[in-house]
Amino acid sequence: MTRGPLAIGDWRLVIGVLGVMCLTALPAAAQQPARAPQAAAPEPPPALGALAPANLSKPRPAAPFDLTGTWFIDQRNSENSWRFNPTGPFKLTPAAQVHYDAAKKAQAEGKVYHDDIGQCWPAGLPIIMTRVWPIAMIQKPTAIYMISGFMNSLRTVYLDGRPHSDPDIVVPSFNGESIGTWEGDTLVVDTKYFVDDHHWIDSGIPASDQLHIVERIKLANAGKTLEIAYTMNDPKNWEGDWKVTKRWSRVDDTDIAEVSCLPDLNQHMPSTQSKENVR
Amino acid sequence: MKAFVLGCCGAMVVAFLTLPAQAHHSAAGVDQTRTVTIVGVLKEFKWANPHSWMDIEVTDDKGQTKSWSVEMTAPAYLARAGWTSKTVKPGDKVTVNVRPMKNGDPGGLFVNITLPDGRVLGQSAAAPRAAQ
Repeated sequence: MTRGPLAIGDWRLVIGVLGVMCLTALPAAAQQPARAPQAAAPEPPPALGALAPANLSKPRPAAPFDLTGTWFIDQRNSENSWRFNPTGPFKLTPAAQVHYDAAKKAQAEGKVYHDDIGQCWPAGLPIIMTRVWPIAMIQKPTAIYMISGFMNSLRTVYLDGRPHSDPDIVVPSFNGESIGTWEGDTLVVDTKYFVDDHHWIDSGIPASDQLHIVERIKLANAGKTLEIAYTMNDPKNWEGDWKVTKRWSRVDDTDIAEVSCLPDLNQHMPSTQSKENVR
Repeated sequence: MKAFVLGCCGAMVVAFLTLPAQAHHSAAGVDQTRTVTIVGVLKEFKWANPHSWMDIEVTDDKGQTKSWSVEMTAPAYLARAGWTSKTVKPGDKVTVNVRPMKNGDPGGLFVNITLPDGRVLGQSAAAPRAAQ
């Protein structure tokens, strides 16, 4: 049977079906009774980087001092003042003591013990600060950038009020994550989130992912001396607070240079190539 | 060319796990109590960070030749002692004092050099001067 033009009743049917289809196709929110639309929780603004102009320009109290400059560990009292020797009321854990005793034994035998730095592993905190190389520091209102002349190791101390990162997201590193806050004339820097391997406080003293360092930083001698009072904890490797104070001198006649640990350079370093080294 | 290895002695207090100035590694394997004089032909001189170094072909009294690797400090320190990147070149006959390796490997830490023209150059062990 051939159909002719739609009759009026047919049009009503079509319009009704289309109307139902349109209604069912609307978003669920559109089917709610008419009322004020609920605003979705706003997305937090993306965190500003330390060098973002909008972060740098935020109003903040003036910093008590400016570390910008080049610094060198002060060895005037002792050539070994750059070392972190385990002296004090704290006690190495049995596992760490094994390493320490083995390092002393190797030393007595003229051998190098786990010199990972010599094999191009990063030195890491704390000894990256005291190895006998100058450190360039650049202080901004939001962060202090520390670049060691030793392998150009970068350390950033954030001053912009951010908290430590989510432990499930942060990437552990040899220098850790440093957050600084001002307490009067002192900068207090809290550092954690370290790697768990190939990282040593000093020869024979391992550092672990439990390492936590608090540095109380001051300037003295009319800004020519930098002083850091360390309190270090690492329950995997010692019991109690490891406290030590180090000092640096401002060196205005020195710049840092590009310094990389290169495998082919190490091939010409008998100290790193000896088969007797304990690795 | 005949070259020689001469042994002599020196005295130096060895601190626990010593580290030469601006080194990137431990020097526990170096005998800091002795100085050895080597005479030979410079094979290669590298002016580089963190260490400069020299490889020197040394022939002993028996006619056997060994390559000595001599570790030096960073160019910034060498420059303070009068070095440039062109102070020595391959083929130069050099006399070098080194702190030798304890295990007898042919190599050690640089102390000083006598250049073909008779000049003696060491390396600055001093840290960058501190602002007073």
